[in-house]
Amino acid sequence: MTSRIELQTASLADSLPHGHSLAEPKVVLETEGLCKYWGGLKALDDLSLQFHDRQLHGIVGPNGAGKSTLLNLLCGTYKPTRGKIVHLGDAIDSIKPYEFSRRGIGRGFQKTNIYPSATCLENCSIAAQRRIGGSFNIFRSRHSEKLLTEMAEQALAKVGLAHRRDAVASRISYGEQRQLEIATVLATAPSVLLLDEPMAGMGHEESQLIIALLKTLKQDYCIVLVEHDMDAVFELSDQLTVMVDGQHLITDTVDQVRDDARVKIAYLGQGDEVI
Amino acid sequence: MFTNRAEKLFVWMFFPLALLMPLLLDQNTFYVNKLATILILSIFVMSLDYLVGRCGLVTLGHALFYGLGGYLFVMLTPEYEAVNFWVYTFYVLVIASAIALVVGFIVLRTSGIYMIMITLALAQMCFYFFSDSTEFGGNDGVFIYVKPETSVFGLNLFDLDNPTHFYYLCLLSLFNCLLFFKLIMRSKFGRIVDAVQENPERTTALGYNVFQFRLASYVIASALGAYAGYLFALQYGFVNPSMLSWQTSGTALVMSILGGLGTLYGAILGTLVYEGLHYGFEHLTEHWLLPMGTLIILMVLAFRHGLAGYLESLLGKRK
Repeated sequence: MTSRIELQTASLADSLPHGHSLAEPKVVLETEGLCKYWGGLKALDDLSLQFHDRQLHGIVGPNGAGKSTLLNLLCGTYKPTRGKIVHLGDAIDSIKPYEFSRRGIGRGFQKTNIYPSATCLENCSIAAQRRIGGSFNIFRSRHSEKLLTEMAEQALAKVGLAHRRDAVASRISYGEQRQLEIATVLATAPSVLLLDEPMAGMGHEESQLIIALLKTLKQDYCIVLVEHDMDAVFELSDQLTVMVDGQHLITDTVDQVRDDARVKIAYLGQGDEVI
Repeated sequence: MFTNRAEKLFVWMFFPLALLMPLLLDQNTFYVNKLATILILSIFVMSLDYLVGRCGLVTLGHALFYGLGGYLFVMLTPEYEAVNFWVYTFYVLVIASAIALVVGFIVLRTSGIYMIMITLALAQMCFYFFSDSTEFGGNDGVFIYVKPETSVFGLNLFDLDNPTHFYYLCLLSLFNCLLFFKLIMRSKFGRIVDAVQENPERTTALGYNVFQFRLASYVIASALGAYAGYLFALQYGFVNPSMLSWQTSGTALVMSILGGLGTLYGAILGTLVYEGLHYGFEHLTEHWLLPMGTLIILMVLAFRHGLAGYLESLLGKRK
């Protein structure tokens, strides 16, 4: 396995593993034979996927397909039963949960996960402070506070929440809270964004806002998106993976997936599930 | 530093008044001593308040460190020789911190009710150890025959045997303690301590090792708890196992809740009111615990955020 530093310094063609063509963007995150069993239940079975830089990789599937399990594995909340997770050339499946963010893997949760009593700016400052360090410093420093404010403001601006800078997070609308959560993750300067149903429970207008936001963000980040809103996923995804019962069904472009017979069976043929 | 209006008001009223108290009491030894004890207890309660209210770590074994502060001093010093106060303060703080590091490492692997149980168990273990020990006087405890001297470079600043001097030492300690906690809560460290309490899951996902922050807080609070116990031992010239008992931890928790969890200055408020009631009821009836307990339950029900919270709502703005 090529080391991380080599990957970053080597030319694009050299850095691509497995002989990909030059046209294809760099693989940022990769799983190899990833499994997660809960006793006898195979929540995720033998999944090998590649996530590329500056692409949005959608993951869909009926309830219980293992989508959230996959995200929890990718950000270290769960430990895999078997298999590997490779980030920029390094196997990271045995590192501690908090080290995932330090490596550049940012996580958005299914349920909004922010600091409700803090202001939007403070939410992002907490995140940005991880990057500038000194979190065990018990003296307040004007210099680093200024720096943190700048970084936090940038993150808020990226998601279009600059005008909510001083609002308390619990007082802003639900859609804005989801945006704020993305902003806090951006403040940690990730290379990968793992998003778990960022549009769940949103009205049409709010969803459109998030879709527009993700369209901008995918120009700079590798995004892994688990989402139930099919229209949104079809609109956003560069690559789309369909999963069923913990198994990988297909990974391809949106058009290919849409026409695939197995997908139709998975969603319409057998199921009594509602999507 | 003191941003909150209620807090500002309290600090500006309490400390100047406390400064004048020995003069107002005409150096009446009994009351000056009594007040010094309340100041010592306030330090202890404040350290617990930080742990429970700011870090979300509920412990029923904080008395472990209160007692250790006293017993450590007894263990370290020769029986009939005056040692230097500053040097031994340093020793007690360092050793208590080291013990807290080990205890915290075990205790903080649990949370919630399990943490309450394990801290309680550890403190009670220590309680029974000292109750049954022959070299530490068992149930009767140990006397400290010679109090430390306080000279710095040959300059004798004050006399620990003088109640007024000792009172001012306690007041200064309490003020520094409050200042110290306010300082760390305003720092980058405090930002993450607050973040850990409000949302540990998110804080981990942002790349912070939550355990480290909890451990650091545990050590800080425990060391200050031990310092309070050390002062208590110096004031009365003895230590006994009741300092380690769960009642001590429980009472401190009640004071802290009464004052307003997590407000820090509320710890002083809670201790003052609790001890004031204690003193009042004790003189009225032999069964003082009954009316006092009832009153405290009513107060906790009436003031949802403690006395500090009530003060803040009176002044209009709750933070």
